[in-house]
Amino acid sequence: MDFDVMVIGSGPAGIQAAIHSARRKARTVLLGKAGNSAMAGAKIENYFGTGGPEDGSALLAKGLSQAEAAGCSAIGKNAVSASAAGGSFSASLESGAEISARAVVLATGVSRNSLGIPGEKELFGKGVSYCASCDCNFYKGVPVVVIGGDSEAALAAELMTGYASEVRWIADGVAADPILVERARRAGAALAVGRPVRISGSAGVESVALADGTEIPARGVFIELGGRSSADLAMDLGIMPEPDDSVKVDGGCRTSVAGVFACGDVTGRPWQVARAVGQGAVAGSNAADYSKGAGS
Amino acid sequence: MVLELTDETFDAFVRDNPVAIIDCWAPWCGPCMRMGPIIEEVAHTLAGKAGVAKLNVDENRNTSLKYSIRAIPTILVFKDAVLVDTLVGLRQKEDIIESAL
Repeated sequence: MDFDVMVIGSGPAGIQAAIHSARRKARTVLLGKAGNSAMAGAKIENYFGTGGPEDGSALLAKGLSQAEAAGCSAIGKNAVSASAAGGSFSASLESGAEISARAVVLATGVSRNSLGIPGEKELFGKGVSYCASCDCNFYKGVPVVVIGGDSEAALAAELMTGYASEVRWIADGVAADPILVERARRAGAALAVGRPVRISGSAGVESVALADGTEIPARGVFIELGGRSSADLAMDLGIMPEPDDSVKVDGGCRTSVAGVFACGDVTGRPWQVARAVGQGAVAGSNAADYSKGAGS
Repeated sequence: MVLELTDETFDAFVRDNPVAIIDCWAPWCGPCMRMGPIIEEVAHTLAGKAGVAKLNVDENRNTSLKYSIRAIPTILVFKDAVLVDTLVGLRQKEDIIESAL
């Protein structure tokens, strides 16, 4: 499917960008899951016009319908990769669909990548990994656990079946597209619902404990939460992220790559709804103009 | 350009540099590609004070096994040929320099 503007990320920055882009009559597509936004489930008190604690999820839902009413196509699927070629950009979705556009707005927010459970920090680099595609080769022929319920975990579980002797995929809720879940299962990953509470081992990982008391023996634990990280997507598009994973933009929300704009938490602190929305308006407008050849 | 070590040249490099910083990486690892320019800067800043090099773990399995590398990027810091620090994951230039001084 071909669009003028592709917005990656369905938080306040991405939704506002989509609204401004669509209102400028650019054919706009919005990717990602609003439920992955830091605003989902949060109480919003310091944003203009809210007055008191407002339910973040409800605001996101309202914003999404507003974007759709403005003419934007909202696809609640994660982008699993992106690419740039010949002045146009494309993204592969977890459902297998391909989307292309003349301009991109990166609004992927800040990824939460750690679980914060005992043993995780201590065993990082000794069996705990946050990058299956980086570290798969170190786990040939040993049992591993993949943790997470979204597209990155599904892809990691599928990948690890090519290396590990056994892949146990633990999720406390599955948000990944059924196509990806099926692919991982067919490859041999055993999916089970559960909540990890502790990673144990001394010199290296030995096991993962779940809340129900189950202890799973493993030599490797891959923690893969949410969708593809903002830093990875930026690199796919030819942008080198800052060491803290943020993407540098100018006052017009332009990145170092022409046609790629960024807004919201992905561009740095302060991580605030007000800032995200303000930048979203700028990025969406400029991306729409860029896509129509008006520059930005 | 930072020197690329192999299983064969690793020990001599560690022995010949009172302080040796080695970035263990692989070409298919996104965070490793981001570490590349940071390590170049570290080498520039510590020129004359530390030997800075890279090791492709994919092509040099023996060294990776010897130092139990299970995640990349990993930076190994040696002083007088003794491993004094192992930094796992993408690090800022300042962290790496601090661990070597």
